[in-house]
Amino acid sequence: MSRQDGETGALAGGTVRQAMTDDERREQFTRDALPYLDQLYSAALRYTRNPADAEDLVQDAFAKAFAAFHQFEPGTNLRAWLYRILTNAYINRYRKQQRRPNEVSADGWGGDDNGDFSLYDRIAATTERSAEVEALEKLTDDEVKQAMADLPEQFRMAVYLADVEGFSYAEIADIMETPIGTVMSRLHRGRAALQRALYHYAVKRGLVPVEVGSESSRSTGNEAS
Amino acid sequence: MSGDCGPMNENCREVLDELDVFLDNECGEDLATSVRTHLGDCPPCMDRADFERALRDVIASKCRDAAPSGLVDRIIDGLKSAKPTA
Repeated sequence: MSRQDGETGALAGGTVRQAMTDDERREQFTRDALPYLDQLYSAALRYTRNPADAEDLVQDAFAKAFAAFHQFEPGTNLRAWLYRILTNAYINRYRKQQRRPNEVSADGWGGDDNGDFSLYDRIAATTERSAEVEALEKLTDDEVKQAMADLPEQFRMAVYLADVEGFSYAEIADIMETPIGTVMSRLHRGRAALQRALYHYAVKRGLVPVEVGSESSRSTGNEAS
Repeated sequence: MSGDCGPMNENCREVLDELDVFLDNECGEDLATSVRTHLGDCPPCMDRADFERALRDVIASKCRDAAPSGLVDRIIDGLKSAKPTA
């Protein structure tokens, strides 16, 4: 039997999906969405900064995603859709609890700077050319994760979604439900703050020399607790 | 654009302002081309761009965690009792 035409196939796909039984839908969801578990768990851990909360959040997000799976349009970006649900669940569930009253929002966060910081300038100023990248690679996973955890929540989310997950500005805007301009500003300030924190850890461990009179010889207020 | 790049000049500053957008693949083709041309002509800017790229790679590779074992089973168990909302 030869295929009649492409259109029939596409229509059939849509129809089949509508008529799926619960078991079929569950099977499809398991097959398509569950492979993103590790990625979503990583994101949840960055968001919540706590393994128990991250686990709860991921379970909650998968339950919500499955409940809404019939609304997902096949052929669109499932990963971005799952991140949106995860991010939404996080905001609704954890931010409302205000469990970290000492954490200021990104908008009110001035840190101790005007938002600009270049790790390259700091490292290149004290290190042999080509050793700069080497210094970065010596940072441990824990140091990079802690530097990320030091960031205000909205910066942390934007930087994570862009630099770790590689989402586009438009996708991040959709996931965080904020305008693209806000995403770009959070990314810019978040990356500067992340570089500042990474520099702090690099200096602390002697990966790069301390600049005399630089802020690294003072407290940055970013000490890991 | 001049191939002679000593200290940072106007071109460098313009390019560095757009470097993040360029590295994020979020700028238009015209801007991307002019940034690429400048980087090809200017080793210090290229060095900085390479560093920023490497930094993104370091962040991406060192910020991953595997889900705890057992979580996948708990999620699958949860789905068994769940009904998609109509």
